[in-house]
Amino acid sequence: MAQAEVFETDFWKDANLRKVWDEIVPGEPRKTLPYVLTREAIQLYCRSVGENHPLYFDEAYAKASPYGGLIAPPSIHILLMFSCTPADDWMRTPGTVNAGQSWSYNIPARPGDTITLQARALDKFIKRERLFVVHDNVFFNQRGDVICSGRGQTIRPM
Amino acid sequence: MTTSFDKLSTGDTIDGPSFAVSLESIRLFCDGSLDYNPLHLDDNYMKNSFGKTNFGGIIMHGMNNFGLITRMLTDWAYPAGAIHRRLETRWVKPVKPGDTIQSVGIIKAKQTTEKSRWVLIDVLVKNQNDEKVAVGEAMVEFPLTA
Repeated sequence: MAQAEVFETDFWKDANLRKVWDEIVPGEPRKTLPYVLTREAIQLYCRSVGENHPLYFDEAYAKASPYGGLIAPPSIHILLMFSCTPADDWMRTPGTVNAGQSWSYNIPARPGDTITLQARALDKFIKRERLFVVHDNVFFNQRGDVICSGRGQTIRPM
Repeated sequence: MTTSFDKLSTGDTIDGPSFAVSLESIRLFCDGSLDYNPLHLDDNYMKNSFGKTNFGGIIMHGMNNFGLITRMLTDWAYPAGAIHRRLETRWVKPVKPGDTIQSVGIIKAKQTTEKSRWVLIDVLVKNQNDEKVAVGEAMVEFPLTA
């Protein structure tokens, strides 16, 4: 499994390896990593936004629900975006400012899923002296089912 | 109270959870999301300007708003057998430690399609001064069986 053993939390460390706005080619696929989503990772994410729904925490409740087992909240892609990309991905560049997002949800991610990401910059532009990139992302589970797809905009540091 | 597609009317509101923002909550979101951008960690770094913007200190992750809105929508949809299908957001104002934010939804429209039923919801997050910090739009599906 290509999953990083230890996640590098110092985003300065590989800063010189990351593409700047000038080097980002719209349409070019980004490097991504498969990631095994654990119950612990889901629940840590949940706690960070105050999510306490039993579908994410209570196995017996989830099993008896229409979902048939524990699931992750739809917004788990916030975590998956970083767990499915390598340390030299430009999403980690210090000073990257999120300017907006739109996401569509198909099926929930579940504990134990091996998640893959297909991602690229779709567009880049300059507006009011700020450097924008449009991101295009689709997450899949191990069966190739789409979990969710989304588009985001970031303002790149100068 | 559990809602249903038929009972919903334009203008109905959904009161989302409120959330106290602190250095600790932002740090926990770093751990939960693996987003360790120094925007959310390093007060010294945040004294710098970013292009034309100066935040003056650590700011909350914009996606923390997104997570809070999601929590409102799913807590509302699950009991009705409805499914959260789409969320679009943009950030209007930075959120800082000490702020308290709350998400709100307002039913904008209902739409029946060939095979399902949809509710469009205007969403926003406001701070303790009633200022909007995030705005957006969501789509929740009420399957015909719900």
